[in-house]
Amino acid sequence: MTAPLLRVESLFVDYEQRQAAVFGSRVTALRAVNDISFELWEGETLGIVGETGCGKTSLGKAILQLVPPSAGRVLWRGVDLASADPKTLTRLRSELQIVFQDPLSALNPRMPVGEIVAEPLRVHSPELTAGERGAAVADMFERVGLRPEMTARYPNEFSSGQCQRISIARAMITEPKLLVCDEPVSALDVSIQAQICNLLRRLQRDTGVAILFISHDLSVLRYMSHRVMVLYLGRLMEIAPRDELFEDPRHPYSRALIDAMPNADPDRDPLDMADALPGEIPSALDPPSGCVFRTRCPIATPECARTRPPGESVSASHRVACHHWREALSQPR
Amino acid sequence: MAMSALLEVRDLSVRFDVGDAELNAVRGLSFEVAEGECLGVVGESGAGKSQTFLAALGLLAENARATGSVRYRGREILNAPRRELDTLRGRRLAMVFQDPLSGLTSTLRIGRQLEESARRHLGMNARQARQKALEMLETVRLPHPARCLDLYPFELSGGMRQRVMIALGMICRPDLLIADEPTTALDVTIQAQILGLLAELRRDANTSIVLITHDLAVAAGLCDRILIMYNGRLIESGTTREVFGAPRHPYTAGLLASLPSLATDPATDLPAIPGQPPDAMVTMRGCAFAERCQHVMDRCRNERPVLAAHDGRHAAACHLLSP
Repeated sequence: MTAPLLRVESLFVDYEQRQAAVFGSRVTALRAVNDISFELWEGETLGIVGETGCGKTSLGKAILQLVPPSAGRVLWRGVDLASADPKTLTRLRSELQIVFQDPLSALNPRMPVGEIVAEPLRVHSPELTAGERGAAVADMFERVGLRPEMTARYPNEFSSGQCQRISIARAMITEPKLLVCDEPVSALDVSIQAQICNLLRRLQRDTGVAILFISHDLSVLRYMSHRVMVLYLGRLMEIAPRDELFEDPRHPYSRALIDAMPNADPDRDPLDMADALPGEIPSALDPPSGCVFRTRCPIATPECARTRPPGESVSASHRVACHHWREALSQPR
Repeated sequence: MAMSALLEVRDLSVRFDVGDAELNAVRGLSFEVAEGECLGVVGESGAGKSQTFLAALGLLAENARATGSVRYRGREILNAPRRELDTLRGRRLAMVFQDPLSGLTSTLRIGRQLEESARRHLGMNARQARQKALEMLETVRLPHPARCLDLYPFELSGGMRQRVMIALGMICRPDLLIADEPTTALDVTIQAQILGLLAELRRDANTSIVLITHDLAVAAGLCDRILIMYNGRLIESGTTREVFGAPRHPYTAGLLASLPSLATDPATDLPAIPGQPPDAMVTMRGCAFAERCQHVMDRCRNERPVLAAHDGRHAAACHLLSP
């Protein structure tokens, strides 16, 4: 197999929080990403799923160095982005792009959308003439399904679905090799979500761009991803090829997420859902000892409170962090 | 099924005055909510689903005007005087909003807010009201209910706040609980807990529930009957099984087909509906969905299809069904 595009090694992200104390304030650290390692190959989509505070957005931002990792390495085609000098980082940024959840707030309201899409070219390809830039923007507009004559309009003249197309055009215009999509369809109307999913998949087929697809919606995630990574409270619970994860999840949290998925099935008794996964997500400021999932886990044992489960290999491409993953699979549900 | 109508909505329209223009949020809507049923009202943003029920409860914004009729147990309540509505709202008809932070008063302790409702509507004294408040927090299975009575809303997580909102909605055992996107802001596992809780409350108290949602899957999980709204109008109604099993309107069928599920083949493109939902400012002569519909005919652009029942309850507003 060829070398991966991206290799993330033991990545940590900490945020400092200032809390009021008797005298002044004290600083506590919130660990948003806790010892996460994985690889990503060209042309591949890796889905990242988890609930509030699981660190999925922080992980995406840390890879792009939009938040500084506190430890670990982000090897992009062999170069460690976490320790790269600013010049190298700027050069590499044209290969690494991001699409955000809320398309309207991601676009400068005072800039015509053609300028918004052209801006990355000004930074990364200053040798282009205005005419060449304009042609590239027009071409990009067509590829994302917008009419090139719309370039002079402002973001507020577009619907949220169209704004997301503009965001995607801006991200794709530098021909990136990695696109981080942070909940790219969550803010869109249901009938628009499928359009944007199809667009991202077509762009990937045409360009081979690798995608980190961050979502809380398992149905969308399954459709978009080749592999899936499940996070909980900053830790990696399970990573596996799509079908293996959905058909044979080994981590009780993956199992619970799949069971909690609402599906358009009128035969399902809603009363069954009440106890799908009891309890609340603990605070990231004070995570449980041992396995962070144990406070909600249906098969937790005293062992889980004592030691953190190491990542174990179920198969060559399937890793799980659970003391009981061998038993978990025999638990009937 | 011999169920009497609890709420009867006839030809309801809601218009907003926006400067020199008029925005039609709801355009001549008629439907019923039966005793004890759970009705799902499904639509995309701007379909008019929330405004319909805000109008029914007299909670519209200042610049809005509602016409038509809304009857609660046969009694007209649309545009009724505030004093009359106050005897119904909270007591008989309760609403749970999407964002529990804005639905709760941020400067009052949880217990105080629940007690106020019990004292006002149920005529309880302070001690009884306190007891009732505690009972309700236990019913919605809030962890540490006694301690939560003394907390402020900001001290609770999103899922816990939504439980408090539901407790507040249910404290007077209303006949009808209107839940407007109650799980949209919540995580998947918490969403499952809240939907299960609503199903339980309905079973135990026989409360009718209206679930307003953009999420077809959420509606399918909880509701007996579904209304699909588009551009302020009802375009399909039927039992959950009918609407999801054999959708009649191309919009409903298109939405269901475009939703990825566990059964979707990831190797194929999603059959997306082209275009975008229409603007509430614009009124179309024909079918509002015509421009996005793959079955569009000339007639669709000129003549608005009416919602016609073809075999009893399951109905859709589409010319394909009445050639």
